[in-house]
Amino acid sequence: MAAADSPSAALRRRDLCSRGIRLAGKMRSDVIDLLDTYVERQGLDASASVAAVEGVPVAAVERWDEQTGTQRLLENLAAYRAFRVLLAQMLEEHREQLGEADTALGRALAAVLLQVSAFAYHLEELLQLESRGPPSEEGSVPPPVPHLGLFERKLRGLGVLRELAQWAIRSTRDLRQLAKPSPGSSSAPGWTESP
Amino acid sequence: DSHIQYERVGADVTMKCGSMDWDAAVTWTANGTDIDESHLNGSYLILKNVDLTQSGQYSCYEGSSWHLKYQTYLRVGTPPKEPVLMCRSNNYPKGFYCSWHLPTPTYIPNSFNISVIHGTKEMVCEKDVYPKNRCHIRYLQLFSTVKYKVTLTVTNALGKNSTTLTFDEVAIVKPDPPESVVAKPVPNNPRRLEVSWQNPSSWPDPESFPLKFFLRYRPLILDQWQHVELSDGTSHTITDAYAGKEYIIQVAAKDNDIGTWSDWSVAVHATPWTEEPKHLTTEVQITETTSASTSSFMPPPTTKICDKGAVVGS
Repeated sequence: MAAADSPSAALRRRDLCSRGIRLAGKMRSDVIDLLDTYVERQGLDASASVAAVEGVPVAAVERWDEQTGTQRLLENLAAYRAFRVLLAQMLEEHREQLGEADTALGRALAAVLLQVSAFAYHLEELLQLESRGPPSEEGSVPPPVPHLGLFERKLRGLGVLRELAQWAIRSTRDLRQLAKPSPGSSSAPGWTESP
Repeated sequence: DSHIQYERVGADVTMKCGSMDWDAAVTWTANGTDIDESHLNGSYLILKNVDLTQSGQYSCYEGSSWHLKYQTYLRVGTPPKEPVLMCRSNNYPKGFYCSWHLPTPTYIPNSFNISVIHGTKEMVCEKDVYPKNRCHIRYLQLFSTVKYKVTLTVTNALGKNSTTLTFDEVAIVKPDPPESVVAKPVPNNPRRLEVSWQNPSSWPDPESFPLKFFLRYRPLILDQWQHVELSDGTSHTITDAYAGKEYIIQVAAKDNDIGTWSDWSVAVHATPWTEEPKHLTTEVQITETTSASTSSFMPPPTTKICDKGAVVGS
């Protein structure tokens, strides 16, 4: 997986990991604030259970501790690319639905979208340090916006934000795993191929 | 025939003497003691408004032959009330445990059954040998938005009750308190105390799941705690301690990203460094010897300044 790590690459990665951890932490607290605002403005019940929403990357993962560094980064990147599209759709729908009536929610959505984009870029930087680099996005067609009623769209938005909040936690954990020095090597952090 | 008979507190109980007729001559005993005839209706034993003390072995003998015709063990108790259930993860991300108890005793045997559902999946709750009323579940998935639903059902011979908890994975994360808390004075620093501690040993991976800490401290003479939150590291130097005052110190822990604070650690006590009082005897002798040369000799004081009883202008 990772080319033999030069000390500078290892330091660069560690720096990217710790900055990524801070970014994910900030993103998570903003997403939680956004969730509260979204639930209130959309008149939803905070404890409403939302079935798995099609097209929304699920943060839940089995045998998380056995994943390799590459798997972590690739799954994170795919998720945040998808969230970038989903949040853009939500923002568009919001503007169509409420125009300027509810700028607070619109601004909060736009702020989180910005952070998601920044985090996706951050993950790409980390993958650049690998010999393979990040997968390209060309040709990847965003999922079509499903035709849903207003209430279903609101629930879908709730599902998107909840999963994003979980992803933010998962990303923090993933990056900490990556920042860990892997056993036996003094400098290269946890990029071990096998657990 | 002999068997166990369960009855509720306050119930009226009628016992027949096996297959004996109503008008047969019989003798009833409770734990081997004859029962007064006033409790009999024919050969039936009547126990009104039973209470816990009436639990015991009841036997019925045929009048003349003293042949044992019937024997039962009466257990007086109550149906279970809604059990109290608590689930918590103190070793995240390995898993979580659930523990339960009954708010009031039932005085008769109860059996507990717990079911843990995550989405559509039933999970196994492995009973712990000790403590008895506890079992633990291993996380199969992490970072799930799907809630866990835990239902505990308690059953005994007199009734059944249950309780259900629904929670998110992150909501029940609560570490154990920090361990090995040590507080020490800092030499030559009358206002400092050095506090150190360790992650709770039950927390499996502090590197990927770092804990943050909350330290509280106060001099014993005051009730008001001072607090400081520490996002990393397992030590802290208190720099604003009152000189010479004994302090009580405790630490709590929380996962850096999720869950709730642990209980407070065991309290430790420490007193900041204080300067050793200089021995006044040496000073006193010097001043005396110089004055002696000009006047008659004065013996050195018998009480040394550092003796306990010595009172130095306070």
